[in-house]
Amino acid sequence: MSDFIERITAYIHWALFLLLEALSGFLLFQYNHYQGSVWFTQANSVAAQVHEWEAYVLSYLRMPTENAALTQRNIMLQYNNDVLRHELADLRADSSFTQQAQTRILSGMTLIPARVVDNSVRQKDNMLVINVGSNDGVQPEMGVVSGTGVVGIVSQVTPHYALVMSVLNSHSSISCRLRGTEYFGYMKWKGGRTLRASMDEVPRHARIKKGDVVETSGFSSVFPPGIFLGKVAEIHNSSDGMAYELEILLSTDIANIRHVNVINNHNKEELDSLLAQ
Amino acid sequence: MIISILRRMAWALVLLALQVLVLDQIHPWGWGAPLLCPLIVVTLPLGTSRSEALLWGFGLGFVADIFAGTAGIGSAAMTLIALLQPPLLEFMAPRDSEEELRPSFSVMGRWNYLRFMALLFLVHHVVYFALEGFSCFRIDDIAISMGVSYAASMLIAIVVETVRNPKK
Repeated sequence: MSDFIERITAYIHWALFLLLEALSGFLLFQYNHYQGSVWFTQANSVAAQVHEWEAYVLSYLRMPTENAALTQRNIMLQYNNDVLRHELADLRADSSFTQQAQTRILSGMTLIPARVVDNSVRQKDNMLVINVGSNDGVQPEMGVVSGTGVVGIVSQVTPHYALVMSVLNSHSSISCRLRGTEYFGYMKWKGGRTLRASMDEVPRHARIKKGDVVETSGFSSVFPPGIFLGKVAEIHNSSDGMAYELEILLSTDIANIRHVNVINNHNKEELDSLLAQ
Repeated sequence: MIISILRRMAWALVLLALQVLVLDQIHPWGWGAPLLCPLIVVTLPLGTSRSEALLWGFGLGFVADIFAGTAGIGSAAMTLIALLQPPLLEFMAPRDSEEELRPSFSVMGRWNYLRFMALLFLVHHVVYFALEGFSCFRIDDIAISMGVSYAASMLIAIVVETVRNPKK
């Protein structure tokens, strides 16, 4: 015990030194305006910097949630944009009963957010797996979209997961149109580059130029109209020379996709029957 | 023991009076005033405990600060050299020194004592002027003030020590 006390007393001058220097520091910053203001400013700068770093790190941690929300928001905006565009067209000219009915029916659409848990892009028939299934209301033939555009169509579902046929699948065929026109066709992927697809059956009298936007036509219950697919990159003649075949630069990079939304159309049956008329 | 402390206090009072009444009014070429207070810590005798030296250093710096209006600056610098003085004196004092050797030209040798004094004064002045300036933007002004004050302080300290302890 005495040995312990001796050791403590042998180093007590260090504690005294720190105490006296701390007291000097207190006097320095408390009673000297210049040093006090410099200390206050610097201390605030340090605190602000620390808070900035903290916010930076937290923003990274919150990024998945924010990404999902932004993706959902983006899709809704695309959809609203299309609805408004059609309403504007309706105001400028008489529109058919079918168009008005279609717009009205599509308002019953909801989005189911999901995360991609498996993905392939190097095969001929590429598929994705997403982390929502029949328990979440997902069913086959539902459209899957991301914030940048169309991703694919649900192929099979289990209670917790769904298998999605990607647009990068040779069996994929998505009804599409050129924005601002009524020329429509089907977008298909013929393998090769993951950011390129083709649109067939565009009539030769159609006025097309590179950079024109290609979007979903809405002529099915899978996708609402106006969802972005990509832009015209090249214009070719079809094999029989009767139509154009457009090469499309896809807006969605399937190889780098994390958050998607499944489109749940509550009026699917009603819309299908209406479109069948 | 008590007489020794009283003598040291009287010596400290004389130097403090000299500092406050005379040296604080002198600013060579408009730069820093000479600071003689460190001499009190420099002359603490061999065998002074570190805690005692720290209390002397802080107390003297505190009093000098009150008169100079430099709260905390002098006490911080004096406390630091008070921490360094005992081990430095043990290192530089002659091997066969008496137990309560009081550092001076006569007992340590002229150059040895000068080095000892110069080192502690230097540490004191660097800390003092760094805290007084408290900025990197006018570091050249601070360095010149420190240099002028250091030179003047050393000169006056040498004169005081020579008068106080004439070489036998």
